[in-house]
Amino acid sequence: MAKERVLVVGGGLAGLAATMQLAEQGVAVDLMSLTPVKRSHSVCAQGGINSVNDLTRQQGDNEYLHFDDTVYGGDFLQHQPPVKEMTEWGPKIIDLMDRLGVPFNRTPEGYRDQRRFGGTLFKRTAFAGATTGQQLLYALDEQVRRWETAGSVKKYEFWDFLGPILDENGVCRGAVAQDLVTMEIRTFAADAVIVATGGCGLIFGRSTMSMACTGSAVARCFRAGAKYGNGEFIQVHPTAIPGADKLRLMSESARGEGGRVWVPRIPQDPRPPKQIPEAERYYFLEERYPKYKNLVPRDIATREIFSICTEDGLSVEKDRLCVYLDLTHLPRESLNKLGGILEIYEKFQGVDPREVPMKIFPAVHYSMGGLWVDYERTPAGGLKLGAIKNQVTNIPGLYAIGECDYQYHGANRLGANSLLSCIFSGLIVAPTVQTWIASLKGKLAADQPAALYDAAKKRHQDEHNAMLKRPGGGENPYLIHQELGNIMTKAATVVRHNDALRDAYKQVQALEARAAKCSLSDTGNWTNQNVVFTKALWDMFPIAKCILKGALQRDECRGAHYKPEFSMPGIDASASPEERRRLAEEWVDTFDANTKKWLKSTVASLGPDNEPVITYEDVDTSLITPRPRLYGLVGADIIEEVWKQRQAAKSAAPKDTNGSHSEKSAAAAASAS
Amino acid sequence: MQGPRIISVEANSASFFSRNEFLIRRLHSLTGLVPVGAYMCIHLITNASTLGGAPMFQKNVDLIHSLGPALPIVEWSFIFLPLIFHAVVGVAIIRSGNPNLSSYHYVGNVRYVLQRATAWIALAFIAWHVFHMHGWFHNEWWLENVANEDLGGHRFDPKHAASTAALALEAPIRKLAYFIGVVSCVFHFANGLWTMGITWGVWTTAAAQKRANWICGAVGIVMTVVGLSALVGVAKTDVVAAQAYEDTKLQMKQEEEQRVAAENKRLSSLTAEERLAERKAREANH
Amino acid sequence: MIQSTSHDSSAHDTHHAPPAQFTVRVLRQDVPGGSSYWERHTVKRENDMNVISVLQRIAANAETADGEKTTPVAWDCNCLEEVCGACTMVVNGKVRQACSALVDKLLVDNPEEIELRPMTKFPVVRDLMVSRARLFRALQKVKAWIPVDGYYDMGSGPRVSAESQEQAYPLSQCMSCGCCLEACPQYTKIELKQEEGETAEAFQARQKEAYDRGFVGAHAISQVMLFNKHPTGAMNAGERLDALTAEGGIQACGNAQNCVAVCPKEIPLTTSIGRAGRATTVHVIKKFFDR
Repeated sequence: MAKERVLVVGGGLAGLAATMQLAEQGVAVDLMSLTPVKRSHSVCAQGGINSVNDLTRQQGDNEYLHFDDTVYGGDFLQHQPPVKEMTEWGPKIIDLMDRLGVPFNRTPEGYRDQRRFGGTLFKRTAFAGATTGQQLLYALDEQVRRWETAGSVKKYEFWDFLGPILDENGVCRGAVAQDLVTMEIRTFAADAVIVATGGCGLIFGRSTMSMACTGSAVARCFRAGAKYGNGEFIQVHPTAIPGADKLRLMSESARGEGGRVWVPRIPQDPRPPKQIPEAERYYFLEERYPKYKNLVPRDIATREIFSICTEDGLSVEKDRLCVYLDLTHLPRESLNKLGGILEIYEKFQGVDPREVPMKIFPAVHYSMGGLWVDYERTPAGGLKLGAIKNQVTNIPGLYAIGECDYQYHGANRLGANSLLSCIFSGLIVAPTVQTWIASLKGKLAADQPAALYDAAKKRHQDEHNAMLKRPGGGENPYLIHQELGNIMTKAATVVRHNDALRDAYKQVQALEARAAKCSLSDTGNWTNQNVVFTKALWDMFPIAKCILKGALQRDECRGAHYKPEFSMPGIDASASPEERRRLAEEWVDTFDANTKKWLKSTVASLGPDNEPVITYEDVDTSLITPRPRLYGLVGADIIEEVWKQRQAAKSAAPKDTNGSHSEKSAAAAASAS
Repeated sequence: MQGPRIISVEANSASFFSRNEFLIRRLHSLTGLVPVGAYMCIHLITNASTLGGAPMFQKNVDLIHSLGPALPIVEWSFIFLPLIFHAVVGVAIIRSGNPNLSSYHYVGNVRYVLQRATAWIALAFIAWHVFHMHGWFHNEWWLENVANEDLGGHRFDPKHAASTAALALEAPIRKLAYFIGVVSCVFHFANGLWTMGITWGVWTTAAAQKRANWICGAVGIVMTVVGLSALVGVAKTDVVAAQAYEDTKLQMKQEEEQRVAAENKRLSSLTAEERLAERKAREANH
Repeated sequence: MIQSTSHDSSAHDTHHAPPAQFTVRVLRQDVPGGSSYWERHTVKRENDMNVISVLQRIAANAETADGEKTTPVAWDCNCLEEVCGACTMVVNGKVRQACSALVDKLLVDNPEEIELRPMTKFPVVRDLMVSRARLFRALQKVKAWIPVDGYYDMGSGPRVSAESQEQAYPLSQCMSCGCCLEACPQYTKIELKQEEGETAEAFQARQKEAYDRGFVGAHAISQVMLFNKHPTGAMNAGERLDALTAEGGIQACGNAQNCVAVCPKEIPLTTSIGRAGRATTVHVIKKFFDR
């Protein structure tokens, strides 16, 4: 009898966690990756991994509060049961990673040390130096190597996933893939295919993501009929070092230590920055936000830096958008505290930031959106573990986990939550896949007719051969990628305008038509990176269009998606109390109406004309009632007052008369369950 | 659930050398210090006694040669066999590496290359030195027909230690060869001592290795001084005077030997009673 | 582009402005075991360029310095932040990551030309891309993992002192880039060719055996010390030391100490080697007398 086999595509945290868990359960795994799995993009995560811990618990923290912070940070756009389950698993996951040998930083007594991250009041984040992602990935990589040595995992490194193979019932029975060295195309019969291929930053040209993060694997599933959720939610980090090849993160602590952000008042002033006198420098954050100055909240900093360059045309450089982040006025002692991050700048820019102001710009950092996946909730509001629906796309047998699923971060991701969601989704997909395989009742992929696989192979082989035979003199894929990146960065990152999005969509369509005419500079059949890149480029378009269309249609501000036309301004502090009260009532009315209209997942699928079709799906917010995010908003106090009164009235109406706001009652409900 | 079962790969088809690579390499390392390195130090210190004049040197040489018939056994088991082992394995080690000094000019890399260069020099020097001084084999025919004066072999006579050594090194070219040879051997020893400390795990951290480097450096400098002072001592030796002393000493020694032989002969001819009487007479004299 | 960009603050404090363009000499090879050849490319200098962006420009242009059409140079890269280890190559004669090799700095040393070669200790796949399978095989050989019972929740891991975490963390930063192996005079290339009629599996098995007989290298020795130091990993310390005293083990080290000098993560590799030396000495003696 044939033995069950699972194909895991992608060897980052999620893919490795799934592989290791499946191997433990005795399932044979083929693990496929564009790069040796140890080189996956997870290595780039620096900060840490969140979970409630013994220390924070005694300060009043619990899993529910982590859950609340996560959905609040995500502007309530995520289904709550999976998030609740994830935060409950947090402590267990950290313990597991600890057992696997991750060198977490330690307290003098030998316990795991914790630090505080954005979006929470608790020291929830465990970390291993400044390379937590790398350390977590290595621990999982080592476990998978152990299973590989024992023979239960077979790695296919330097292989490109070309697409899932669906049988006549639309069930995923395996995948087609191509060896990046020999260019061999072959099929992998699999009883389940788990896609764990990460984000799609390369659609934006340069981002903080790795070169493997093209989103092509996800796009190939999308082309095969998988749905794509919340595409428009792209997290942009306010300060990154713009390089010619990629954008590298610059920690916010540079501003925390007193770094000042400015641009020359004369556009593209050719003088070296230190020769520009104070009067000719525009400290735009300090001038526009006299209260917070350079330490305005992350999203505001991102928007201001972005618009000073794009709208005001005051970028330091002409060809490349950037502003100065100046530390040169600070005493050496305070710079020493920043040590590590200044060295990164020096290493990659070749310039000492203690002497010359740094050049920084916001950068695309994380895709909250991804393949739409399902889940099954328990009555208590958690996940039913091992349920056949968890992490499955709308294609039976095709699963998505990690950054490439849309499930955990809603409209914006909390710092240090991504590592948790990757490992969590990887671990829980294993029992689900087993349930799925059991439901196949022995009709395994290995017993499927050969014709199914032969046809899939032939289609991809023909396509590949045709590409190699294309006439020369056509479009250049690398230049088209640059153009795509420019269009996407301009229209669909920090600040979004409908006319610009509409325009960008048309440009991307035109670019896609041009990309179809790309001709290859390498027509050989050995380690041909030219053809592989061109294929990946083609597959950037469907996702790019999901992002643009989703952003265009969503007429509101939510999380990382910001449209100035639809922003909800605060309340004038100088108005009379009655007027303020009235405006606050109005504000809350607008908020409620907006929630009703837009608190929905964007779900895209490929239409018959090859354009994405967007539908909306209600979000399960049954555990925590969505509430306004008022951080930094003028008049927040009065809005909050009105909000609380209304919530109290609502919860008083049906049952108890306890005047507490919904948050607490939900907490009570959750802890009672 | 226990983790996966992993069966270690056993190299059963491997050759003796590859199966025992670790042991052989550690023995190679060890023989470098004891006995080969240690012998070299004793040898250089003995030779340095030429600075103290021919009598002192002769006395030290005589001390070594007092082992008599046991000397070859000691020489072979504590010097030549370990040395040959060290050399043969060493050649294999050198051949297994691929120096890359042209790309990486680090001090450690320079020393790696020097260790190998001095190994070759030391090998050639020691081979020639043993031929030059001792003619390789103590076989009559060999010494007369091969390792003879024409080929410059067997120049050292332990009974005329200082004078024959001085004569053997009379030519400046020989002095130069000995200079290069001795310095190479000492470098190889001192640097080898340092790497040995890492190999065996005596000094592990970078700081400890740095400290050990000073110590090994000092050993190297001291041994270089000792080795070169032997050369100076040999160069300063007055051959005629030394030979006169050695001849006199040898003659005295021969006379003494003859006297002892005669006495022994006389004693052996006595009966037991006579011997007893003689002893009593001696005691009474006391 | 106007020369004004070179006026930029990122330009070095040199007396002469960096050149507007420069030559890149790439040692190319079309197939494994094939002959290699030099190819020159002219690249326009831009601000903040590194070798990766140079290769990206070459790929986009696909033209030699003489204006002849050519194929893009194949190379390996991923994170471009010097944490994944992929883009290791020999830049101007020294092994390093292409992502952190800044063009302006390279041009200070040699304003005319940048020379790129594949690593020499690994079989070339194509151009600057090499197969580092042997490096990963070494991690299997020395059992570089914590042999936990399983992945169910068993509470937290062992308590670890801050001091030993500080010792472990640098070792755990090894990104398997292979710099230490490339610079090691004792690590020599092993390149096998698939025989005709030999199956892929048979070839892989043969390759594995050949790799196992070759020197494991500094990275693997250091990983052994990492795992043997961990309270759980220490339970299987003997197995890892057995691997280090087998053929191709620590004894092949020649103490040139290039490994530590070229390691981009500044891992104290020679300290690991010293510690492994001590551990294997004790292990072998114990094993001999305890048997």
